[in-house]
Amino acid sequence: MSARGTQDVVRTHRSTPSGERYEGVIDLERVRARHRPLYEKREAITADGNAAAAIATLQMWRCVIFAGFPITPSTKWIEMVAAHVASDPGGVRRVKLPEAEHAVADYLVGAAAACRDLVFPTATSSVGLDHMTETTRSLGASGLGNVMIVNVYRATANFPLCIEGDPSDTLAHRDDGFIQICASGKQQIYDTIVQAPCLGMHPDVLTPTMPGYFGIKDSHRSAKFLVEPDREIHAFQDRWMQPCPLPGLINGDTAFGACVTSRHFQGFKVDQKRRLERTIDLLPEVAADFETSFGRPGLAFFDETGWPEDGVAEVAVVGMGPDFGTFESLRDRYERQSGLRVAGVALRLLTPFPREQLRERLRGARVVLVVNQAHHFGRGHITLDVVDALSDLAAPPRVVSVFAGMGGADVAEATWTRMLDHARRALDGTPVPPYAVFHEGVPV
Amino acid sequence: MNVQVLQEVIRRSALEIRGDGKAGGGLVLAFQSLASLFSRDPSMHVQEWPFFGSARRGANIRSFLRVSRSPIQPACEVTHPHVALLMDEGAGRTVDFAQGVPLGGTFILNTRRSPEECARHYRLSGRVVTVPGDELGAKCLKHAIGNVSTYLAAALAIGGFDGGEVVRSFLETLRKRRIPDAIVERNREALEASAPAIRSGVFDEAKANDHAPAPFEGYGDLPVGAQTQLRLSQGNRTADYAPSGFRLRFEDPSLACTGCAHCITNCPEGIIRFQPDEVRGVLVTGVDVTNFCKLCRECIAVCPEGLFRQVPFQDVWEEAAAT
Repeated sequence: MSARGTQDVVRTHRSTPSGERYEGVIDLERVRARHRPLYEKREAITADGNAAAAIATLQMWRCVIFAGFPITPSTKWIEMVAAHVASDPGGVRRVKLPEAEHAVADYLVGAAAACRDLVFPTATSSVGLDHMTETTRSLGASGLGNVMIVNVYRATANFPLCIEGDPSDTLAHRDDGFIQICASGKQQIYDTIVQAPCLGMHPDVLTPTMPGYFGIKDSHRSAKFLVEPDREIHAFQDRWMQPCPLPGLINGDTAFGACVTSRHFQGFKVDQKRRLERTIDLLPEVAADFETSFGRPGLAFFDETGWPEDGVAEVAVVGMGPDFGTFESLRDRYERQSGLRVAGVALRLLTPFPREQLRERLRGARVVLVVNQAHHFGRGHITLDVVDALSDLAAPPRVVSVFAGMGGADVAEATWTRMLDHARRALDGTPVPPYAVFHEGVPV
Repeated sequence: MNVQVLQEVIRRSALEIRGDGKAGGGLVLAFQSLASLFSRDPSMHVQEWPFFGSARRGANIRSFLRVSRSPIQPACEVTHPHVALLMDEGAGRTVDFAQGVPLGGTFILNTRRSPEECARHYRLSGRVVTVPGDELGAKCLKHAIGNVSTYLAAALAIGGFDGGEVVRSFLETLRKRRIPDAIVERNREALEASAPAIRSGVFDEAKANDHAPAPFEGYGDLPVGAQTQLRLSQGNRTADYAPSGFRLRFEDPSLACTGCAHCITNCPEGIIRFQPDEVRGVLVTGVDVTNFCKLCRECIAVCPEGLFRQVPFQDVWEEAAAT
């Protein structure tokens, strides 16, 4: 560090209960001023999911350093970011390609702890996320809400090796401590990544975020979506991202690596859980501001389809991801043919799980069909959460659990029809197995 | 049989297109280019995506495209396409690229063969469009890749665009990807050379149920060793990963093989044939290209005597032989 730089640090150094702070070492206004806008006005573009995610991060002035390690199907995110950064020689942005995903996560820790007002994104998939696990578990507790891992879903099991996208990676990481949000379709991917750090960096939450979307089915699927001008993105985010201290029980020097006393550690774990749960209160506020700013819905606990005003449905589907769109496209027809009211929700906020909101939505359903798309030892990750959410009701709906699309398999209309038929059997009390597996319209 | 008017399909519902090819063969590029072309119309909704069966170059892949004037909700694969495109005849050996296409559909093939030959061979009923994309790619782009020609053939078959717009859209897509000007110019040449090479005709060669989608009958038994079985199954013939039109040949009429065994140890598929030899240790006698030679060229690279070669190879179809 130069002599002048040292003087600056000394001048700005300050001890606080939250740790050591070096005010003004990073001149945020200068960083902001050096941002090179991608879009000056709203535009409709056609691109795939990884491009939508890359554009969203590149539009944030707070994203200056991008770390990544390529793994299918998330690779295009870092490729696109790197190409953009390379096209601006002399710019402030940098791309770091450490030697593995674990190193990427470690790099994010150091950078995010040092620069808590900036956002540090990466993207990964499958075993790449697994490889980060030691650090993601620590990150979840760290209070570093300015870390964002974009998880492009891909099955974690690599025997035999395949690249298809099912959400078993993200669902296996429910307990890492991240705010996990599922997006479906290019617009949602873009919008979710714009909003995610607003949740994570909020002083009441301070929890890293893991927005995600299905690999191949969404990461490699192109469609039209709206991109907003960079200045509007900045104005929106700056309303939510304030100077970002670490949580009170721990300071920046001891968040990673150094030991603390048991009492502090235990208190920190309790606080971690509380901070994560506050996401439930904050998310609607961020979403409402997003809708006011951009004229389309912001984040949601879940997306809804087909619910009548009285909230009563014979069959309610709970699913996630782009395959839910196929259900939406045949729902009307199925209702007409079966004479049943059929509705559904596509989960968005996976962690923390919006159990009370989901319980109220499903309260009027007679049968709830939960569609799981990832390997689970029992009835399914989503099923367990739905059953728990409904357990407070005096007369909860029957829950019918199915698996489809595992290993990234196509979930055809015929499969949806068969699954709905399967759920109908439960309407008259016919016993159904704890779970059933469907593919191509056939139980397997 | 009435040939479907594809512009009418777009007006009424969603046009669905499916393509079969091999990884690295330009199929995804062709579909992305078509998606960009349709996206120029602000009122058009487009959904385009690939399906990769394996992360290996040369493995069979599929691409899908939906186009509609209304928002597109379905995310499932296209199983009854209005247009089926075959980018690589090698892929056509292991999948029915016309599966699920209704009578009167449109078939686009990257091939040197005529529409009539293709209609007979693949039993197609509808409009058959052919273009020798690999040849034109080799000539104009110095690379036997058919995405430029098949893109043009598909765009013109679908209709609703003028030729200039089809060319401009393609070249703009390349420029957005920062492709060097010289390469863009070669692509323009390939587009211009493709137009007169496109041939089409209407044929009715399909018999009932020729291309009916096969019902899913389960995954079958997956006992211990299932991965090995998968490796050896016909569905995983790595020979199909080889570039179409070429095959590996081993020739050693003067017994020049030194017995160095580099080819044996470097072949990832273990298909080099050899026998014990008192002088050399081993004597290489040939190579089994039937199922698993994907023309990785390892043996060609390591053989000190140059006994392995890649030679042209063309499937002989009954129809072609008869004529």
